[in-house]
Amino acid sequence: MGSSEERVVAVIMVGGPTKGTRFRPLSLNIPKPLFPLAGQPMVHHPISACKRIPNLVQIYLVGFYEEREFALYVSSISNELRVPVRYLREDKPHGSAGGLYIFRDLIMEDNPSHIFLLNCDVCCSFPLTEMLEAHRRYGGMGTILVIKVSAESANQFGELVADPDTKELLHYTEKPETFVSDLINCGVYIFTPDIFSAIQNVSVQRKERANLRRVSSFEALQSITKIIPSDFVRLDQDILSPLAGKKQLYTYQTLDFWEQIKTPGMSLKCSELYLAQFQITSPHLLANGDGKKTATIKGDVYIHPSAKIHPTAKIGPNVSISANARIGPGARLISCIILDDVEIKENAVVIHSIVGWKSSIGKWSRVQAEGDYNAKLGITILGESVIVEDEVVVISSIILPNKTLNVSVQDEIIL
Amino acid sequence: MKALILVGGFGTRLRPLTLSVPKPLVDFANKPMILHQIEALKAIGVTEVVLAINYQPEVMMSFLKDFESKLGIKITCSRETEPLGTAGPLALARDKLIDESGDPFFVLNSDVICEYPLEQMIKFHKAHGGEASIMVTKVDEPSKYGVVVMEETTGKVEKFVEKPKIFVGNKINAGIYLLNPSVLDRIQLRPTSIEKEVFPKIAAEQKLFAMVLPGFWMDIGQPRDYITGLRLYLDALRKNTSSKLSSGSHILGNVLVHETAVIGEGCLIGPDVAIGPGCVVEAGVRLSRCTVMRGARIKKHACISSSIIGWHCTVGQWARVENMTILGEDVHVCDEIYSNGGVVLPHKEIKSSILKPDIVM
Repeated sequence: MGSSEERVVAVIMVGGPTKGTRFRPLSLNIPKPLFPLAGQPMVHHPISACKRIPNLVQIYLVGFYEEREFALYVSSISNELRVPVRYLREDKPHGSAGGLYIFRDLIMEDNPSHIFLLNCDVCCSFPLTEMLEAHRRYGGMGTILVIKVSAESANQFGELVADPDTKELLHYTEKPETFVSDLINCGVYIFTPDIFSAIQNVSVQRKERANLRRVSSFEALQSITKIIPSDFVRLDQDILSPLAGKKQLYTYQTLDFWEQIKTPGMSLKCSELYLAQFQITSPHLLANGDGKKTATIKGDVYIHPSAKIHPTAKIGPNVSISANARIGPGARLISCIILDDVEIKENAVVIHSIVGWKSSIGKWSRVQAEGDYNAKLGITILGESVIVEDEVVVISSIILPNKTLNVSVQDEIIL
Repeated sequence: MKALILVGGFGTRLRPLTLSVPKPLVDFANKPMILHQIEALKAIGVTEVVLAINYQPEVMMSFLKDFESKLGIKITCSRETEPLGTAGPLALARDKLIDESGDPFFVLNSDVICEYPLEQMIKFHKAHGGEASIMVTKVDEPSKYGVVVMEETTGKVEKFVEKPKIFVGNKINAGIYLLNPSVLDRIQLRPTSIEKEVFPKIAAEQKLFAMVLPGFWMDIGQPRDYITGLRLYLDALRKNTSSKLSSGSHILGNVLVHETAVIGEGCLIGPDVAIGPGCVVEAGVRLSRCTVMRGARIKKHACISSSIIGWHCTVGQWARVENMTILGEDVHVCDEIYSNGGVVLPHKEIKSSILKPDIVM
């Protein structure tokens, strides 16, 4: 395989508005894949990892959001990275393999030797180049990024068994009830174009089965609506499970971090992981300051160049501040995401919280939570345009957009 | 004239502050509670104050020794070896209270804070010519207290009704009495109640008169009432001697700042705040409805409301202390900590937030 003739295409599955409801209230304003982690849209992190793959010719984002929701981002990131990025809209959800399959002609236009498939809502270091090298060594149709997790948490994911020597995928099962393995699927794959034939086979088989049922069984007729449409193909159950142990699929284990980004709480955790990764990949994105001419900075902090931070403020660790935010004198920010156009006034304190677009936090007010990323109210979230008046305290609460708080709240969801 | 101040016991309701000093020595508006009373007594010519006390008399006396000479007033102690109720201590101190002059003497409850219109009380006592005078004060919820039923015009007391279930009046015993020495003949040396056993008998003989206390009144024996009491006290100070209150663009409402306290830039202080001697309030601090006692330091950008900060405490940068947080002596709240109603015993360091009202042992 001469690497100079290889061409790589990456496909990132971004989902759609009916998915990601657990990410509310933040997903009420913005498609979840565009929510900023470490100051960059969630999807930016896999995209910039793809950019580092040699011979990458094209990145596709596949989902069922409206085209216009991604138009601006796609054009700016294409310019920035000098790699063509294109959004492909599914008319309805097709499953992760099905979504790939319906765009097979477009994807194959560049005649790629390898196709990366990434889920947008995972947070990891995306060791794609290393994965590609491993994939070439294995010589199979596909390689899955895997990670070892605690035995207690494994059943929330796809559990799999791999051959310790050859790394071949021997067994795959999605969210099993009983323990199978502590090795799980990270939602990052590399395939040869043969994957399309594999998906087609599933699709064809399913169509045949459905036809068979339709003529042979009255019972099946009654439950016909429950039958999965033939163009809906899940990667895990429909492809990985049946092909395990057939010397076609292999695994590449990452020893770095990996998290799934399902909830706003996890977005704060993942923001922290990405900020830490910036120390290696993009140190220029991390803020510095000693409190003399600029604000005091502690730990990993991202500040958008257009944000204004008063020199007496103290920021960090794990803080991301988006465009046009204004942080007033004596404000203190710890472990939080401050979105566009937010104003934080004098001496206000924000800890373990996400402050939504255009929100305002009054003087000496306090927005805080305990910082348990997995608990329902473990971080405080203010939706868009929430006003917290002077000296008000908001603890472990979720505030939906456009609310004004003039009294303190604790452990509440304010609709 | 002489006076007896009923000091009483452990002051448990005002813990954790009373774990460090006896209750009468807890500062209120930058002055130990008992000095408010002693100064008022001195001002109308009282020459000797007897403290009826059953806990730590040594601590009290060693503290008050200084004031004896400073104020030119004799302070002595009458120690109960067992609790004697509200009347028994008078019998115990009988010899100290009676002298050849035959003058009436004052009895004050040490928990009470008011404007002490004692001069008016003396006039009232002389005018009615009875055996005893008591101050009464109007309250919103008389059912919680002992109500004094009296003739409105003359003030002659008819009866006492303890915690009335149906409305009989809204004037309650304010804990300030002016008594002729003959009252002492009615009290035996045993645990006994002045409201239940002594006053009703004098009233029955039509020799007990009540004067409605002008101005505010508060029993500051517990933290919530202590904070309310400070507001009332500062309101009265505004009316009477407003020069003692601070002013400036960083001051909101009534604020009392000791001359040795230091306030940083960009603070907003008030309303209803007392800052004691030697306190340091750093830049960008917000204080409202609170007391900061001697030697405390409030670090930059901290925010305190509706709380009591005990002696020599520190409150860290960006900390927030509120909702009846009571910090005992020498408590240190670390940077960025939130205390929502934390009651903290002396000499503790608070390293994690107290999100709901709780006691830190």
